[in-house]
Parts: sequence; structure tokens; C-alpha cells
Amino acid sequence: MTDHPPNELDVVSDGALPSDVDESGAVASSLREATHPSVLGLMGEFPSAVEAQTVSARDQAVVWIQASKSLEMLRWLKDDAGQLYDMLSDVTGVDYGDGRTIEVIYQLFSTKHKRPLRVRCKLPLDKLEIDSVVVLWKSADWLEREVYDLFGVTFVGHPDLRRILMPDDYEEGHPLRKDFPLRGRFSRAEQTRRALLQDVERFYQASDLQVGGRPQEVATPESTTLHGEDPS
Amino acid sequence: MGIGDVLPGGGVSKQDGGMFGAGSPTFLTTKIDWVINWGRRNSLWPMPFGTACCAIEMMASAASNYDLARFGMERMSFSPRQADVLICAGRVPYKLAPVLRRIWDQMPQPKWCVSMGACASSGGVFDVYSMVQGIDTIVPVDVYVPGCPPRPEGLIYGLMMIQEKIRQESLSRHFEHRAEDPNSVARPHANAEEVSGLTGPFGSSTHQDQLSTGLVVDTGDGLADDLGQGDD
Ligand code: SF4
Repeated sequence: MTDHPPNELDVVSDGALPSDVDESGAVASSLREATHPSVLGLMGEFPSAVEAQTVSARDQAVVWIQASKSLEMLRWLKDDAGQLYDMLSDVTGVDYGDGRTIEVIYQLFSTKHKRPLRVRCKLPLDKLEIDSVVVLWKSADWLEREVYDLFGVTFVGHPDLRRILMPDDYEEGHPLRKDFPLRGRFSRAEQTRRALLQDVERFYQASDLQVGGRPQEVATPESTTLHGEDPS
Repeated sequence: MGIGDVLPGGGVSKQDGGMFGAGSPTFLTTKIDWVINWGRRNSLWPMPFGTACCAIEMMASAASNYDLARFGMERMSFSPRQADVLICAGRVPYKLAPVLRRIWDQMPQPKWCVSMGACASSGGVFDVYSMVQGIDTIVPVDVYVPGCPPRPEGLIYGLMMIQEKIRQESLSRHFEHRAEDPNSVARPHANAEEVSGLTGPFGSSTHQDQLSTGLVVDTGDGLADDLGQGDD
């Protein structure tokens, strides 16, 4: 199939074709073929909660786990001495459309063991709920808000689950869902009217607008209020 | 360059005499419109509202090679209070629409607006749920600069068109030109038929979903007849 000398990119081009994709939209290999130490570790520790695994893009280990056990398993991945995934680089979501499950994806990295791991959880469309991992990784805060905003997944236990990219009062739904019309649900005139009704002041807190004062205070989850609201 | 070098006759008092040599009268007459418009058009300070790639070309226009300062845009005014012309360079999402509108409202009269690039003028390729389809639905636009992005020459040409527009203004028609009724200000100055006639069958940023009711150009291929509007 190739007439050039073999190189490492062949592994990529010889990988799964889009037509090999199973109905969840991803290529899952047999659990028996797992070699990644964290996938093996998860299978040993939570034998019934690991659903599938694969290796994508040559060396990216991917593991599907049960959404109901996700917090427990991610905590183990973070704290176990053999894993120590201390960095959460991304939380994102995928909607494969046609009523299939929506997946929430955690991209982890262990700075101790120098290895990445991708953890995926399938959520049925009628129960888009998963435990928030803000308690484990602070970086999950805004990332989970983004998944909530664009896919409508509720993160149980999130300290401040608001929209982050779309306006707070956006009423047209969750734009990255496959059933969302490209131009939104309202007419352009209505969208413009609603846009101009937004109160710009609400975009900022008073401390954001301060120039040359003290450094901005970082709000802790307990002290977070809606913009400009008096906490008392 | 002093005013004396520019006004007709160069008639500001000089030590050695006025416009007709020593001892001649040292006054001049001109139209107040002319003087005011001369001052306004040669000291246009732009308010840069750069939101995307077009802003890079706007910066290039201001930098030394193209040097906007040659035309009196001496400094980019990062405060709307000291600005005369709003240059909207880049795409504007609905979430940003009220900010653009507020900045426009904060600029003192008289003021002008340049819509730079396809995105600001019509939404460009971003005909999606989040994007304002032309900033003329938010603020009144004087000059549209086409391009993706326009070259600095294009922006400079657009600004020179504004200078030309100012040259033709008159204090006696001031209120006709710059009246700001909040209800009409967010609409284009042309009426609906005029807009449709100009924009052909593609619709415009304010008339998205209609076929043109304006003139149909007969290209000789019978299309005009099919639309029922060709020559009988
Ligand atoms: S018109 Fe083109 S260059 Fe300008 S903001 Fe849009 S995409 Fe970028």
C-alpha cells in the first residue's frame, strides 16, 4: 500500500478507518490487549467498571469507564502512587448524534511518571449527569462549565455551574449538540434584540475594572456570587 | 505645517505682510463649513475595535510602512471618549454586541464608523448561531471595507472615503446627518428596498432570508425571466 521506505507515520495511516468505527464513534480494542499500566491498574482495581480501551494516534491510551464510578476512579488515578495523574489538561465532550450517547472526556497527564491517559465516560441522552472533578483538579472548574454550556451535561457538585462562553441568559440550547441548528433557534432579528438587551455591566465585577489598584482577588468557590451581586 | 500654508491664499498674518505682500490686509474669508470640515477630516482619531484577524491588518496600517498618521489618524485612541471614527476590524459575536454598541454610544459626536472586512460587514463565512451578521445591525456604518482581510491600502482608502464624506458635510444639515434616534440608529440608513436593490439576490446583513425585490440584472441567460422580473 505504500511505496516509500517504512516510517513511523505508517502506524497512523495504517490505523483504523472511519468505517471501522463502532456505534459509539470510537474504535475500541479488546480489554485483553491492554498494555498501558494505568489501564491495567484500573482493570485490577475496578474490574467491573472498565468498559473498553484502545490506543489512538499511535501512543495515546484511551479507556472507557462507567460514568457512575467516575469520581472514585479518577480519584484513584490521581492519588495512587503508581499513577499520580496530577494534571488535568482538558475536559471536553463529544456528541455523536442520532441519539447515541454523549461522552465526557478527561485528558490526564502524570508529571511524575511522564505519561498521558485519556478517560472517557458515556452518558445516555436522558441522564446527562456526571460527578464534578473540581474537588480533584481545580482546572476542571471552567472546563466543566464549558462542557455544560455547549453540551448540556450537568456536573454534580460543581461549585459554580454557569454558562461560560454563551451569554448567561442564552435560551436557545446547547450549541455543540448535533441536534442544534447551525444558525440557532431564534431569528436573526430576535438574536440581535436579545444581544442588545444584555447588561454589559454584568460581564464584570467591580474589581475587574479597577486600574492600578491591588491585584485582583481570586474568588474562592464559597465567596463567588453572581456578577455585581452584594454577598450580604 | 501651519494653517496658513493650507488655507486658500495662506493669509495668516506674517511679519513681512499678508497675502499680497507687505502692508496688505491680513485677514481672509472662508466658509465656516469649510474650516470645520477641514479640521475634522484631518484629525480623525480612530477607536480600534479589533476582534480578529482583520485587526492585524489594521495594526499594519498604523505601523510605519503604511503610517495612518499621514492622514491625520495621529493616534489610535483606546478610549472612545477621544475618538472620532470607530474601526470595527473582525468578527463580532452576539455576546460582544452590547459592548460594541456601548463603545459607539460613548464616542462623542460627530462620529463615523468603518466596518473592516467581510466578518464585520456581513458575518463573512461565520453564518452561525453566535455571530452578528454585520455590525450595521448594531451601529450605523459609514464605510464598508471589503476583503478577508482587506489590505492596509483598503482600510486607508475607506478612511479617505470618510474624509471625503466629511468634506461634503455642512453644519446646516448637521442634524439631518447625525441625528441619533436610539430606535433608528441600529438600522442601516438606506431603506429596505434600497438595500435589497443594492445587494441582489443574496440578501444582506439585515434581510437574511429574502430574495431581492430590487432590480434584476438581465444577464441574457433567461434567469431574469424565470424570476418573473425581466423585461417583457
Ligand atoms: S474578514 Fe477575514 S480576516 Fe477579517 S476577521 Fe473575518 S475572517 Fe478574519
